[in-house]
Amino acid sequence: MSGGRILVVDDDAQIRRVMRTTLVTHSYEVDDARSGEEALEKMRTDQFDLVLLDVNMPGMGGVEACRVIRSGRSGFDLAIIMLTVRNTEKDKIEALDAGADDYVTKPFSTPELLARIRAALRRMPQTAGTVPQRIKLEEGTEIDFQSRHVSTRGRNVRLTPKEFDLLRYLVIHPNKTIEHRELLQAVWGPDYGDELEYLRVFVNQLRKKIEPDPANPRYLLTEPWVGYRFYLPE
Amino acid sequence: MKSRHRNIALAALRVASVVAINVGITYLCSRVVSLNSTAVGFVYLLAVLIMATTWGLIEATVASLVSVLCLNFFFMPPVGTFTIADPQNWIALVTFLATAIVASQLSNHAKQRAQEAEGHRLEMERLYALSRAILLTEPAQPTAKQIAHQIAQIFDCRGVALYDRISGETHQAGPEDMPAIEEQLSESALQGTLFSDESTLTTVTAIRLGGQPIGSLAIRGISLPDTALQALANLVAIGLEKERGREAAGRAEAARQSEELKSTLLDAIAHDFKTPLTSIKAAASALLSTPRARPDEERELLTVVDEEAERLAQLVTEAIHMARIEAGQIQLNKGLHRVESLVSRVLQERKSLTEGRTLNVHISSSLPMIVVDPELMDLAIRQLLDNALKYTPAACPVSITARRDEKNILISVRDEGPGIPERDQARIFEKFYRGRNTRSGVTGTGMGLAIAREIMRAHGGDISLKSSVGHGSEFSMSLPMPAEERKA
Repeated sequence: MSGGRILVVDDDAQIRRVMRTTLVTHSYEVDDARSGEEALEKMRTDQFDLVLLDVNMPGMGGVEACRVIRSGRSGFDLAIIMLTVRNTEKDKIEALDAGADDYVTKPFSTPELLARIRAALRRMPQTAGTVPQRIKLEEGTEIDFQSRHVSTRGRNVRLTPKEFDLLRYLVIHPNKTIEHRELLQAVWGPDYGDELEYLRVFVNQLRKKIEPDPANPRYLLTEPWVGYRFYLPE
Repeated sequence: MKSRHRNIALAALRVASVVAINVGITYLCSRVVSLNSTAVGFVYLLAVLIMATTWGLIEATVASLVSVLCLNFFFMPPVGTFTIADPQNWIALVTFLATAIVASQLSNHAKQRAQEAEGHRLEMERLYALSRAILLTEPAQPTAKQIAHQIAQIFDCRGVALYDRISGETHQAGPEDMPAIEEQLSESALQGTLFSDESTLTTVTAIRLGGQPIGSLAIRGISLPDTALQALANLVAIGLEKERGREAAGRAEAARQSEELKSTLLDAIAHDFKTPLTSIKAAASALLSTPRARPDEERELLTVVDEEAERLAQLVTEAIHMARIEAGQIQLNKGLHRVESLVSRVLQERKSLTEGRTLNVHISSSLPMIVVDPELMDLAIRQLLDNALKYTPAACPVSITARRDEKNILISVRDEGPGIPERDQARIFEKFYRGRNTRSGVTGTGMGLAIAREIMRAHGGDISLKSSVGHGSEFSMSLPMPAEERKA
């Protein structure tokens, strides 16, 4: 049985070759592309569960391709992991901001990459807590947990799987501060815990989607140095 | 001295005119229109006022005295004598004289005020013009030189000398040369003192900024009030300081660019080395983590490790070549080689990069063998091929052509990519230069083309570029035809 369909996007043929061989061995279905443009072309006709996207490619680079994928109609249903040789905070945030779920620095070991792929494909178990089907916030914002839609002031936006999992975990524990580590492990997996920049970027993106004024959040609140809290009026 | 004589002559002329005008009025009033003494007194008074406003106090006073004498002699009884019979006429004459002198003083005073106001206006205008000129100084010329020139022009003075204490330079402007001024200038800049020489109308003043003298200014041919001189010195101080600010900003910019260059270079090196390392690490760690891998999987991964280790070795060799070429130490290991085998070797080495790309290779069959260093020629061809592949989208075809003309053997790499803007073409062969549109996204050291050119020049050839935006680029390497072929 296939563990999922993965699209490997890298301009280096040897990296594509290694990825294809190892991922196929681990029961994934694999296709590959040499550039951002080719990846988008393939995604038009094929469905993928995850895209491994290299940042530095001639023509359309990984960050731009990631943005285009996320702005597309089916761009919210898949996971994206960026691969890059750069390891600065700025590069990570740029990739996550563009819509990536995770970030792996080259050179990486295959077991590590496989763990990241599993984490990205992993959905939070539905039994983790009782989540309301939909919640209504003030000023007409409505979050539908069934269809992963947020409608706010007549605008309809969708959440990526990781954004959805993050919001769901916070909503399950309303009005309670959840620590960074707990959130990261619940949403990304047990191997995570120190990637605070992931939370920063994802919380910002969620705020843009659900808060009436993202600069002054009313629901998704930061508890400095500790974690985040979802304020749900009783 | 000359001007003093001229002034005396002018005053004498004016006094003579005053007398002549009075004589004229007397003749008109006594012989032509025959007025009484009161009416004549008013006509004289009018003449005195006009002279006071147009000429000055001396002329008006002389006119007053002459008018009193004329009035007495020609119009007051007994007419024809300076005797005054009626004591009332004495009062009339004294009153006339007093009125004429007071009125001429007042109107002269008003005239002086008007002249002063005009002088202030002119000073303000000139200082404004100078401040504008200082703001608009060109970075191409020293600011001090431009300021000296502007002062000479705007203040219309015979000579200007500006001493900049920090650079130690003196800039002179204006028609008159000031040969012995330097000493005074440096003393003024050192002590902050003010010199003025009445005979040559020269003033030397210190230029201060924040209380510290930063230079000095000498002006010849005009006399400026202290306030105007101070304002002028302050403007010059601001101008000089502006130049220092500009220099400091330039140095900071150069340092920033050099930092940027270092980080670009490191980025590119990291990318080039990390790419094969990534494949090796991924393949090796996959093999280690799956103890019972299928033989075909194991073979595939080991092949990648082997090929990528070879690529790493090649990168290291290339880096050593580059370091040598960069240091100007090209050593050629020449041998007789076929162009075709050189090109195919590069294509073989670059198989992983060219995979999936449309590559057209045309090698003319009439090419002679060439005497070159094969490793360095490889390196040069590889730079051009890598650039064509790196900077064009995957769908763009790339062609390699080798042909001959009368004097040269030409190896060209042509792509159908976006082309290189004209402004980049002139600098593209410079070390570390990267086209403006390529700086983000594609990694590179900005060394490739510089190295390819060095290699070609070491072989007695060269490299050239033909490109236009939207129509692709063609880099051509030319090598001189072997002598025996040329004869043939």
